[in-house]
Amino acid sequence: MSALSEPPTMAFLCRSDLELSAGKLAVQCAHAAIGSLKQAKKTHSRMVQRWQETASRKICLSVDDEEDLMYFLGLAKEASLPYSLVQDAGLTEIAPGTATVLGVGPAPRHTMDHLFSELKTYD
Amino acid sequence: MGLRSFIHRLTAPKPPGSISLDDKLKMVFVVNHELKMGKGKIAAQVAHAAVKATLACGEKDPSLLDAWFKTGQKKICVKGDSAKHLDELSNQAKKGGILSNKIHDAGHTQIPAGSFTVLALGPCRDEEVETITGDLKLL
Repeated sequence: MSALSEPPTMAFLCRSDLELSAGKLAVQCAHAAIGSLKQAKKTHSRMVQRWQETASRKICLSVDDEEDLMYFLGLAKEASLPYSLVQDAGLTEIAPGTATVLGVGPAPRHTMDHLFSELKTYD
Repeated sequence: MGLRSFIHRLTAPKPPGSISLDDKLKMVFVVNHELKMGKGKIAAQVAHAAVKATLACGEKDPSLLDAWFKTGQKKICVKGDSAKHLDELSNQAKKGGILSNKIHDAGHTQIPAGSFTVLALGPCRDEEVETITGDLKLL
């Protein structure tokens, strides 16, 4: 497995039912990225290093609703991957405390592909 | 916090330019609207910018980063017209002493390799960055 063909990946699982604006969604993913990275630095520091030395690959995937999001949160926990669940402060667009995006990783790309194989990329 | 340090904090003069938790701080992402990226693509690019800006701030000004985290790490996204526009904003920010980080896409999907996708400004005080991005529309 070469580092180039298999760069570690961070995934953002975004709820499509909330129909967030592009800017709002982007900010939620940015929160998730920083949150998951902070966590990963404590528990998966070598993976973080490899991720930063490669392309810091990031992908946005689509989940249907909160139930779906929580299901995949369970999978990430079971696999002992770093994660960060973003709950919005609710200042704009949606109710306070709404879970919007789950950031997972960085983790090996094949692990991510395996866990989230049924999810489509977020358009 | 001990009593002595508490009193010291209340009475000691603030070093010039220092950040306190009473300051309103934010990070602003200017997205290159000319590229017509999809929502997921924009989100990934902004996440790149957030990570890069956070790490850069951690190296250059850890106390600022700490204050931004403690005040809820506010972030907003605004629209920029073009790569040239983003470059101009970046130059203005640098003159004003605001952290400026550029993201160029590797071009695996949607857009040409090397496209200037997002400019991250800050974290810095709201009023500082608003002199530069205050007129731009929210994304």
